[in-house]
Amino acid sequence: MSAATDNKQYDELAKRYGIAAIPESVARLTQMVSSQDADVDDIVRVIEKDPALTARLLRVANPGADGPEEYTVDSVDQALMRNGIGCALLLAMGTPLSSALVKTFQTMLSLKIESVDPHQLIGLAGPHMLGSIGFAGKVAGHVYLRMSLNAAKVVATRILGIPGAELGPDEIRDATGELLNIMTGNFKSNLCDAGLACKLEPPRVGVTEDYSTPVEPGGGLEYIAFRTSEFNIFVEVTANPWNG
Amino acid sequence: MAIKILSVDDSRTIRLIVGKAFKPYEVAVIEAANGEEGLATAAREKPDLIILDVTMPVMDGVTMLTKLKEDEALKAIPVIMLTAESGRENVLQIAKLGVRDYLVKPFKEDQLLEKAGRCITLVKRPVLQPA
Repeated sequence: MSAATDNKQYDELAKRYGIAAIPESVARLTQMVSSQDADVDDIVRVIEKDPALTARLLRVANPGADGPEEYTVDSVDQALMRNGIGCALLLAMGTPLSSALVKTFQTMLSLKIESVDPHQLIGLAGPHMLGSIGFAGKVAGHVYLRMSLNAAKVVATRILGIPGAELGPDEIRDATGELLNIMTGNFKSNLCDAGLACKLEPPRVGVTEDYSTPVEPGGGLEYIAFRTSEFNIFVEVTANPWNG
Repeated sequence: MAIKILSVDDSRTIRLIVGKAFKPYEVAVIEAANGEEGLATAAREKPDLIILDVTMPVMDGVTMLTKLKEDEALKAIPVIMLTAESGRENVLQIAKLGVRDYLVKPFKEDQLLEKAGRCITLVKRPVLQPA
């Protein structure tokens, strides 16, 4: 069957099943980065058209800066030159992750959450809940989700509709794992659609005091942070787009 | 006899949410944590509807769906996929195997009830009045 027929069939099924499309700029960017001979100027143009992608790329390119006023790298082409095209894939991967997390909070937790610059938030300290999922295939990496133990309890309470006092550690861990599953399932779909077929590993969830984030050899790392009225959530994505 | 719904998902969270969603209805929700358990439970219980995840250990949802559709005794049971994966290849493959509907996580209980209500008749449990 031709790709055009497949696309048409998929569009019809997506409409029938109510499957939301990811932003065109993100789909385009993932496709471009997945073909390793992509033209850098084309990638620059796609990112520049999307203010959110541009802001995130500049944040990645200026890891030590506390805000845009401290950026030493202040253009998309400079950022790509400095960090490599691989970091554009991290951006493309982060968007479905972020939107899935926000949508999960809206639909399943009835809690407003917003994506913010990680520098605006006070980081976690001491023991916290850490969930991680690895993915492997044409692109390899990990997604890490960190939140306070109290935040994990609130997430489980809201997602399950069970009072906190009735929740055991297993329910709290499982709810964190499911949140991570939903996020990564959405971004995996985007990667696979762009030709970067990969498989997800089962999530690992537990309490830790370890804040280190191992980065894949030759890969990059992006921090994404979220704020609710009650707590903060931190997500780290590591990936090597040239794994395959 | 009460309608039976089989929820197949490795996440206990999702199985609890599915169970909670159907609690107000005359429905018995039975559970399985992977495709292998799901097939065995489907053969034993003959559910009226299966709500099936894709990514699971031991046997994934696509394999379970394939085996279900190959089984004369089970192939007519309607299946709703409940998964975070909405990739083109997955959706096309699953649609070809034959599913009644597809619900992408995150989801609202109302959406699940609406899609389930297109496959089975949902009857509210009588509300007990205080004596």
